[in-house]
Order: sequence, then structure tokens, then C-alpha cells
Amino acid sequence: MDVPIVMPQLGNEIEEAQVDEWLKAVGDEVGVGEPVLTITTPKLTMEIEAPASGRLKEIKVAAEELAAVDAVLGVIETE
Amino acid sequence: MKCVLLAHSPLVEAAPSGLNICSHKYTKVRSEAPVLPRLATFRQAMPKALHIDPADYAKPGALAFPAVPVRTYARSLSEERKRRGDRTLRDVLRQMMVVREFESMLGAFKAKGAYQDIAYSYKGPAHLSIGQEAAAVGQALALQPGDHIFGSHRSHGEFIAKGLAAISRLAPDELTRIMAAHQGGALLRTVEKNLPSNSTEGLAENFLLLGLLAEIFMRANGFNAGMGGSMHAFFPPFGVYPNNAIVGASAGIATGAALWKKLSGDGGIAVANSGDGSTGCGPVWEAMNFAAMAQFCTLWDDGKKGAPPILFFFNNNFYAMGGQTIGETMGWDRLSRIAAAANPEAMHAETVDGGDPLAVADAVERKREILLRGDGPALLDVECYRSGGHSTTDANVYRSKEELAAWQAHDPIATFRAKLVEAGILTISDAEAMQEAARAQIRAVTAAAVDPSISPIVDIRAQPTLIGRLMFSNEQIAPPAGEAALLKAPEETARARQDAKKSRFGLTPEGEKLSPMRAITLRDALFEAILHHMRHDERLIAYGEECREWGGAFGVYRGLAEIMPYHRLFNSPISEAAIVATAVGYALEGGRALIELMYGDFIGRAGDEIFNQMAKWRAMSGGALKLPIVLRCSVGSKYGAQHSQDWSALVAHIPGLKVAYPATPYDAKGLLASALSSEDPVVFFESQRLYDVVEQFKPGGVPADYYRLPLGEPDVKRQGTDLTILTIGPSLYPALAAADALAAQSISVELIDARSLVPFNYEPVLNSLRKTGRILLVSEASERGGFAMTLAANIARFAFASLKAPPRVLGAPNWIVPGAEMETTYFPQIEDIVDAAMLEFFPERKAERRGIRNWNDLELARAGL
Repeated sequence: MDVPIVMPQLGNEIEEAQVDEWLKAVGDEVGVGEPVLTITTPKLTMEIEAPASGRLKEIKVAAEELAAVDAVLGVIETE
Repeated sequence: MKCVLLAHSPLVEAAPSGLNICSHKYTKVRSEAPVLPRLATFRQAMPKALHIDPADYAKPGALAFPAVPVRTYARSLSEERKRRGDRTLRDVLRQMMVVREFESMLGAFKAKGAYQDIAYSYKGPAHLSIGQEAAAVGQALALQPGDHIFGSHRSHGEFIAKGLAAISRLAPDELTRIMAAHQGGALLRTVEKNLPSNSTEGLAENFLLLGLLAEIFMRANGFNAGMGGSMHAFFPPFGVYPNNAIVGASAGIATGAALWKKLSGDGGIAVANSGDGSTGCGPVWEAMNFAAMAQFCTLWDDGKKGAPPILFFFNNNFYAMGGQTIGETMGWDRLSRIAAAANPEAMHAETVDGGDPLAVADAVERKREILLRGDGPALLDVECYRSGGHSTTDANVYRSKEELAAWQAHDPIATFRAKLVEAGILTISDAEAMQEAARAQIRAVTAAAVDPSISPIVDIRAQPTLIGRLMFSNEQIAPPAGEAALLKAPEETARARQDAKKSRFGLTPEGEKLSPMRAITLRDALFEAILHHMRHDERLIAYGEECREWGGAFGVYRGLAEIMPYHRLFNSPISEAAIVATAVGYALEGGRALIELMYGDFIGRAGDEIFNQMAKWRAMSGGALKLPIVLRCSVGSKYGAQHSQDWSALVAHIPGLKVAYPATPYDAKGLLASALSSEDPVVFFESQRLYDVVEQFKPGGVPADYYRLPLGEPDVKRQGTDLTILTIGPSLYPALAAADALAAQSISVELIDARSLVPFNYEPVLNSLRKTGRILLVSEASERGGFAMTLAANIARFAFASLKAPPRVLGAPNWIVPGAEMETTYFPQIEDIVDAAMLEFFPERKAERRGIRNWNDLELARAGL
């Protein structure tokens, strides 16, 4: 099953944020709760954690690119 | 750009052997970031070197406190003779006599209007320290000229003692240089003519006593040009830093001074002199905690490790105004007990016999060594007894004759004199001659101080704005160009890479606003000005409650922790008073401070420090001190009554503070650069609602290069002919939208952004009124007493001939800021501005009210609203 990693709503006024860095490469195993990437809003840098355990199947928004709130940043394929 | 990279010191399990500093404490520091349980699906990236392990805190046990020595000084007089020499011991007695004679002279003027044969009516305060001379002289005996003392309202004795001690230690050439440099040598010439001496040391003593007494009498030749007086006098060349009329206020200021001594390598220690009563003052506790912060040992880089060298010296005279500290107004039984609260070493505290100058000197000498090693802070409880009243109007009704008599037997001068006579160090007649000489010296100095032909009265009538000219230096430093030591080149940080990709202008060619991720915001603009000053000026330090890893509550400092070592950027305790007071001490010693109060509403927590200390020391020093401090305060939103009020008028009301409140990224960067360059204190307001705004006015956007905009210049954001709207802070944006709405009704608005509150150049506003004749002032502060009201009242005078209608202020109502959902009913909205413009200035248009403000201002005022 594919589980999307989405850009969270980080504050009422924030519409988009930047993907700073992917901490995992496509094909890497990830455990639920493990940091997968970091993002930056105008105010903060945050880690985004894996919503499920599995394998990082796809990166949809590359490092240093902007993405809107709720956008799918990547996909985890579970067993 | 060249930058010096510091290897970030790995934090260690235990301090390296052979290193004394901090070796005893906080050894449980981890070098690696711990693995923490994940509590949420994302968390702020906040790598911390200090791991709080629940296992460490789960163990039962009991806390032990170090034993605090009480009056353990036991050195014999013969040992002291060997150690210090008879000449020094005799001088200790003489200095105590000089102090007492000086205080007795002031007491006599207050009580009888005469001292010896000199009649004089002294109108100012006289908080005398008769009975406490051993504390002052003993302390000074242990200090070097480069040690700095900060005092209280009762510090004449400390001033004289420190001055006399410095004079005895400085070479004649140095003394002459110091005296010649003060007031262009004017005071020295006065002393040479009227109080001559056959030795440089004697001349310097008369210089010290006349400079102080003339200051107490508020004469032009006083040490502080008559602007300080009894409770604020000081003279830095002898290590005498400001005394302070606010109880306990020196604690935080001296702590900041100690921080400067530590960071600058100037050497020496700082001493905060205050009384036992000050242990009831919150800011004193804040200062002691600030000085005891563990990070000096756990987190600061190796070269900067160790606590600021600060000694909290409590002249414990058992009375705090009319209350008795022991048994009545405090819970402690011995003052030194409070030190156990500050840190595991209990601040190396001791209770000392303040009636014995040598016991005091011994204690201060030992604490000084600890402090110079970086193992401070230290606390001394120096028990002495104030024989006189709190002030000369105190009738002593709160203590018994028996108590006063009992303490007479412990009089420090009589006791020490008897001791020296008994040991054969001086004869009774020597002692009497010494007393007579002290009397003659004080009489001569007093005669010179009361005589207006020698000590001229400050002639305000001849120069009515003289004091005004002392309020600000109006000087700016050159653009900083040094290279501070950095952890990382700023260009290599994620923030720098991100900001480099952003547009400098906030609008697309089609006029669409860019998102804060795509254009430089006001937050980014502030960061650029801060980064420039921080990277090029090692003297500048920045701190606040969440300034480091967090990057400030609103992200202004985001990324700065990667660049700046701890000693340049650190998290402070939640101690607004200590934040501001330490900045005052740091700045008046020669440093530059950028401090932050998260919300303007927290100004109340630092009221004395902002209103009495930061604002007033330049003028009270007769223009000698500079206070380069920038206090950043956000003005909140959405968090209700205690987090969202605009308090700018309070700050603007107090003379001595410059106040800025920019609303655009371009203005924010340029004004903050000016504030950081200013030699005067600046309170810099930032609206939380504006951190994300992008530049919409300045063609070309926010320059990437460093630039300054002058404080005090309002800026015309849009030209117009029918109505001037002058805004403060974030009201610029609803006013801009209102101007568009009014344009649709053929009303042409000239929009001016105040940008600064103090200073304020009215000319651009008056020029505008020559065209429009009408002015609406909009701000988010409560209307009553708001700064817009001040502007309006002045504009009514300055532009009377141009006005077609009275100025109108549109602010927030005089009630609490409501919660987020109700904020639009509180802060002036676009429709409120349009209503005010249409209904007040163009009633003939018979416009319908669009907003909710249908209230009657006269009725509200009657109801206190």
C-alpha cells in the first residue's frame, strides 16, 4: 500500500514551505516515526517523520523546492 | 568574505584535568544528540547538547547544601601587620574616618543647616552610611583600580573608599592623567587653586572628595556635571561605576558589567553593592540567577568558559526602610542562606563581620580569586549596622534606644582604633590628629563645594535646554567592518541559501503579492541587518529567552545559532529585568547589546530596567556614558489581553529612549541597522502580524547590501491631496487598502508611515498638511494616552494654520485586546479607517458607516473607556 508523506499545516497563515533536505533516499527502509526530511517555513525548520514503516518509494518534491500545504512530498510503500 | 571559523568544542563528560574553571559542576554533558522518543509526527529541529534523562531524575534522595561560613575570619592583627603593613592599617582607619566625617557633614547640613562654621541649605537626599564604614573600606582594600563597583542610594562611603583605595594604588603620573582628562581638566584646576596639596595623592583625594560633594550638591563641576546627585554619582577612572537610587538595581547592571569584563578580557571583577532589603527585590534574584547560569560552564566555548566575575556584596544593616529583614520582612535568618538557591556552590557565600574592615577585606580578596578563575558568582553577607536613619527624615521610631546603644559598642571606627592603639600601631594622639586631619580635609572640601564661585550652580536659566542636550549622544558607529570569530560562514547556512533565492521585491510585475517563501520578508530584512552587525562587530552580543536554537519565537534569528558561538548569542532565563539590566551594564562598560523581550506586553517585567536604567544613565552621567542597546519587542496578536497590546506610548513617554516601529521590510532593515549603530538606547517594536510581509513600496525591493535609514524620519508611502493618513506600525496596511477605497470615492489620500516615534521629524507631516489640510492618525494602541494622541496634539499646534479640521486619532478602544476571533472588532480595520475619513472629514458626502464603531466617545470617556 502507498502512504503519502504530506506537507503539514504549520500555522494558520502558512500556505507553502520549502523542502530542505531528504534524510532518506528512494529505496531506503524507513520506520514509522523516523525523520524522513526537513522542511522550512518562514519561521522554523522542522523534521517530517514517516507516517508508516516501509520503503521510500518516491520523492515528489526535491530538496530546496517549495510545496504547498497538503502537497504530497513523497510516498512510502508498506509491505 | 573572510571569516574565522571556530572549531565548535565538543562537550565533554568531564572537564579536562588541570582546568579549574567549571571543573566541579555539570559533568553530565553529552557530546552527542540523544535519541528521543518521538511525540509527534514532526518536531522542530532543535539539536541540544544537554540531554535530560528521566532516569537521572527518577532516583529518590535528598539535596545537600554546602555549609555557609558565618564570621569565620580569625586572622590575628600581628598576621595582618605582616601581610599589609602598619601604614596600610593606619590608612584603613583614616579612610573610615574620612567616610564618617563626610557623611556627618551631610547629616549636619540636613539636620541643622550648618557643618562646623559653614552654613548651607542642602535640599537633596542624604542616605547616610554612618556605622557601615568598615564594610566600604574593607571592600575597597581588597579591590584593584580596574575592579568596578556599582552602588545603591547609600553608597557615598563605598564611593569614597574605592576612590581612596584607587588613589593609593595608582602611580602619580596616572593620577595626574586621570584628573587632567576629566572635564578638560577644569575640576583639577579648581582643586589645584582652592584645595592644594603638596602631593599628587593628596591632590587626588581632594579631587575625589570635591568631585563627589559637588555632584551631591548638583553643581556643574560635580563628577557627573550635577546631573546625578547623591544617589547616582560615579567616577569610572577610579572604578566607581553608577550608584543607583532604585533598590537592588545595581545587581543586574553589575552582572552585565561582569559579562563585559569576561568577554572583553578587560580584567577585574564587578561588585554589586546593595543592602539586605534588596533581597526582597525580584530583579536581584534574577541577576543572581543570570550570573549563575550553568551554560557559562556547560555550553560556552573553551576560551570563553566560566562565569562572569560578579560579587554580590550585601551591606546587611538589618533594616529595609521601616522593616526588619530578619524576623519580619524576610524568611531568611542569615542573609547568606539565599545563595543556596542559586547554584550547587551556594555562590561561595559567607556571612562576614561588617564591623571589621580586615574581615571584610579578607573575604573580598578570597571571593575575588574565585571570580577571576571563572568560578563565580559570589555572595557576601556583610553584617553592619546603620547608626543613623534610612534618610535624614527618618525619626528612627522602628528601633529602640537600647538596640542603638548596644551597637554603639560595635562601632567599627572606635573598635578598629582601639585595636591599633592597643597593638602600638598608633598612639591615641596620632589617632586624634588623624581624626582632626579628616575633619579639616572635609571642611576645606565642603567650603569649596558650597561656594558657587568655586562650584558653580548648573545654570539652566541661561541654557534652558541644557539637560535636553544630554539625553542623547546622537552618535553612530562607523559601519562595522571587523571579522568576528564565527562557527560557520553565514553563506553556508540553509537560511542563506533559501533567502538568496528569494525576490528582493514582494510584488510580481502584475502587482501580485509573493509568498513569504518567495520574497524577502520583514523577518528576513531584520535578520540581514542583525547578521551584518553580529559578524562584523565582536562587541555586539544578542540574547533573549529563545534566541539560540529556536531562532527567536518568530524566527528572526533562525540560522544564527549555526553561525554565532554561544558567547555572542545565547538563551537567557525568563528574566526580563535581568535581560535589560545586564544589557545596561554590558553597554555602559563598552559593549553593545541586542536584547529581546518576546512580547511588548512583557515590558512591565522590566519596567525599572527600561524606564529608569536604560533610559536615564546617559543624562544622569552628564553625557559621559553611552548606552548602545537595542531592545527588540514584538507586538503581539491573537493571544489576547496580555500578549497583544501595543505599549509603544509607554516607552516613548520616558525621556531618553529612541523608539522605532517599522512596517515594511525595507524600513525594518535600514532602521535596525541604524539602531544597532546608535550609541543611544533604542526600543525597536516589531508587529507579529508583519513578520511575513514582503516589500511592496520600495522599487527594486530590499537592497541585499547593508544600508541605514535615519531614525526619526516619517516616510510618505503614497502621495495625495485631500487627506493625510499618518500610521504607526501595522496600521499602514489597512490604511493603504482604505486609501484605495477612498480613491474610488474621489478622495485622494497621502499616506505617511511614522516609522519612528522618538525622535520624530514633523516636517514631512506638516508639508503634507499644507496640501491636504486634514489628518487622520491610525495606530493599534489604545487611544487614551497613545502616541498618536501626542502626535495629534502637536500637529494641531504646529499646523494650525493649515488645518481644515481638527486632527483625528483612530486607535484601539480603551479596553482589553480580545482573543483572536474578536480582534477585528478591536484593531482599526479598513472599514473603520474609511468610516473615520468619510464621516469626520467629508460629512457632506453623507456616507453610511461600514464598521462597528458607532459608539459615542464622550460617553465612553465618562465611563472610563
